Amino acid sequence: MILYPAIDIRGGKAVRLTEGDFGRETAYHDDPVDAALRFAEAGVKIIHVVDLDGARKGSPVNVKTIRRIADAVPFPIEVGGGLRDAENIADLLRAGAERVVIGTAAMRDPKFLAEMLKLHPERVVVSVDARGGKISLAGWSEPTDVDVTDAIADLTARGVERFLFTPIEVDGTLAGPGFEQLESVAAATSASVIYSGGVGTLEDLRRLRAEAAPNVEGVIVGRALYEERFTVDEALAALA
Amino acid sequence: MGNLRSVEKALEHVGARAAIGADPDEVRAADGLILPGVGAFPRAMERIRATGLDELIAERAAAGTPILGICLGLQLLFDRSEELGGADGLGLLPGPVTMLDAPGLKVPNIGWAPVRWERESRLVEGIPSETPFYLVHSFVARPAAEDALGTAEYGERFVCAAERDNVFGVQFHPEKSSAAGLRLLANFSGICAKAPAAA
Repeated sequence: MILYPAIDIRGGKAVRLTEGDFGRETAYHDDPVDAALRFAEAGVKIIHVVDLDGARKGSPVNVKTIRRIADAVPFPIEVGGGLRDAENIADLLRAGAERVVIGTAAMRDPKFLAEMLKLHPERVVVSVDARGGKISLAGWSEPTDVDVTDAIADLTARGVERFLFTPIEVDGTLAGPGFEQLESVAAATSASVIYSGGVGTLEDLRRLRAEAAPNVEGVIVGRALYEERFTVDEALAALA
Repeated sequence: MGNLRSVEKALEHVGARAAIGADPDEVRAADGLILPGVGAFPRAMERIRATGLDELIAERAAAGTPILGICLGLQLLFDRSEELGGADGLGLLPGPVTMLDAPGLKVPNIGWAPVRWERESRLVEGIPSETPFYLVHSFVARPAAEDALGTAEYGERFVCAAERDNVFGVQFHPEKSSAAGLRLLANFSGICAKAPAAA
């Protein structure tokens, strides 16, 4: 299983939010490039970068910072946060992002999603966030009554090849992944799934590797790494 | 992906001094040359010819200067490519560049693949065989068997690293291949440091 260390950027700094709440954030590194470079020697294969300001605004804000990260790090980066139009996505890919993560726009605008999947094969990840098994949109601020498994099945039928799934209740809590939610999401699609949320211990990672369905290809780890609950090397070993 | 800046940064990371440019005096003074590259083969060769870089690279190759092609840069080292109607390459390594033969699989091939070393080389010293490297490509070089340094699997077993004397090429992106990629760039930098002094 692939480790995706996470870097969340807000106001040019690397931060983590707890349960997606913009009022509850902790800054861990002044410069996200420093945060990213810490992963360079460890054998990390990719990192997951979120433009939190972009997620809030609905269009990318920290593109310059993302470009600096892409230039500096010796591995591909996946980038999300407020990506809702074709031009912004092209900009980020030009800035050096290997993959872009689309959330709300993929759900609301099927035509846009189809266009992006066609234009950027293998480079589009669709992010699906759920609270209580129901989809939440717009940086988690907008709950819906759509079942996450229904949404995943529908998006798979429309050609999505890779999902990012986050059960909002556990994100940023270090209280352990939402194993049951992940199981139902993975079962609803043949596409790859990256899991995010709640990882706090190496045991969480070992259990994900042992128990998650074969199409769960990776896991995002943020706060646990920043708070040095374990090292990147240990996380890589737990997932190997 | 694999842009100039990230190659430069990765080289700095391993302690090499890197400069981006095509100035003939600078190129002649360099201990080694790296040809990165993304995009399409014919257009890249057009630009290389227009700036006279083709003759300069041939001159440095003949002088024994280590040369490393990365991604499209590797392909440019070969005789010719069939991409977009076809074009001649630099001809430093014999063989053509053709489309990946991966029926039923998606092209471009994007992702990590374990690379098997087909022989020993200073370039890959300290990197175990089957270490994963990061690839983004639709075409592959078809070198002579004795020039094949590393292979990977995608629909077919293809050559993703080539070496002949002082000319090296890798289809994968060492600058995006984490610790193993940095080691490869450090090895190349070491090869350059030991090479005959620049003329």
